[in-house]
Amino acid sequence: MSVQARPAIPRSWRPETKPHKFCPGCGHGLILKALGMAVDELDLQDRLIFACDIGCSLLAWDFFNIDSIHTHHGRTLPVLTGLKRVRPELIVVAYMGDGGAYAIGAQHLVNAAARNEFLTVIVANNSLYAMTGGQMAPTTLPGQKTETTPYGREVKAAGAPVLGPELVDSIAPTGAYIARGTVASMIQLKNFIKKALVHQIEGKGFSFVESLSTCPTNWRTNAAETWHFLEKEMSGYFKVGEIRQ
Amino acid sequence: MVANFEAIITENGKGIFHLFPALCKGCGLCIEKCPVDTIGWSRQLGFLGTPVVEPGHGKPCIACKKCELICPDCAILIERRK
Ligand SMILES: Cc1ncc(C[n+]2csc(CCOP(=O)(O)OP(=O)(O)O)c2C)c(N)n1
Ligand code: SF4
Ligand code: SF4
Ligand code: SF4
Repeated sequence: MSVQARPAIPRSWRPETKPHKFCPGCGHGLILKALGMAVDELDLQDRLIFACDIGCSLLAWDFFNIDSIHTHHGRTLPVLTGLKRVRPELIVVAYMGDGGAYAIGAQHLVNAAARNEFLTVIVANNSLYAMTGGQMAPTTLPGQKTETTPYGREVKAAGAPVLGPELVDSIAPTGAYIARGTVASMIQLKNFIKKALVHQIEGKGFSFVESLSTCPTNWRTNAAETWHFLEKEMSGYFKVGEIRQ
Repeated sequence: MVANFEAIITENGKGIFHLFPALCKGCGLCIEKCPVDTIGWSRQLGFLGTPVVEPGHGKPCIACKKCELICPDCAILIERRK
């Protein structure tokens, strides 16, 4: 039987742009689903500004029925800093990849955190540079094969993976909210994002949520292998939970 | 605006399984997460010309909605059978 029906998409999503532009099984869709659910529950759609970075996160430029901005690597943070200082009543969210946040645009993350700017930052950690074809990122796991580490990442030559939330924890002054979620636990991830948004609404300071994410295209994994890499390999290295409340 | 998409509806166990072929990209993530393994490949094709999914391949659906929650494209809607 085939009938007209309404899919269970968050209210804040923009249905005309669905299906979205991400690949099959991409974790970006799940993180933005968790964000959409959090925005719906807090009824924030009309006072939110969504800013996406360079990388696959930019494919979200028309994802929400929300005023959206797109900037270069890491620049989502200075752009939103200016916006928030001029219009403090707005709630601003930066959405970036791990390459944009921890390497190419890292200076902006470090300084926004150090200044305890009233921003919410969500970082999708899929363990590599996805948009450019799967090169090693700061978050690539030891031994993980990528386009630029065909024999696996060697810690001796390429360093150990960057722990984003732990890095922010070492920089941000008292008052910041810091957590790491995963698209394997959607309700927990939604709750972390919701707490980060409430943190900003209540004017407490910087809020930061990293989410472990999937990239079946560059991981070259089928569905079972995708879940395995996310839930066993990545969650084994990157500890999921709240770091600062 | 509320977008309407065509759903293929299949009743199975405790659930009424709605699958939206225009949204399903055939990633298979839902197949792996169903606790009763009822989800499998269908003969219908989805948005990218790949098979969509359907229930009826394992034990009866318990309407836990796990598949609905973890679909990155919101291509599944589960209603509980009355
Ligand atoms: C300064 C600069 N260097 C390199 C690039 C090329 N580039 C575009 S996207 C990208 C990778 C982004 O990876 P990540 O932030 O992890 O996001 P993902 O695509 O994985 O979601 C790179 C290296 C660029 N745009 N600007
Ligand atoms: S390349 Fe990877 S991160 Fe980018 S849209 Fe595809 S699956 Fe998602
Ligand atoms: S219903 Fe969703 S999770 Fe399942 S195969 Fe289709 S797109 Fe993937
Ligand atoms: S609702 Fe639960 S039991 Fe039913 S198909 Fe989905 S995951 Fe399987």
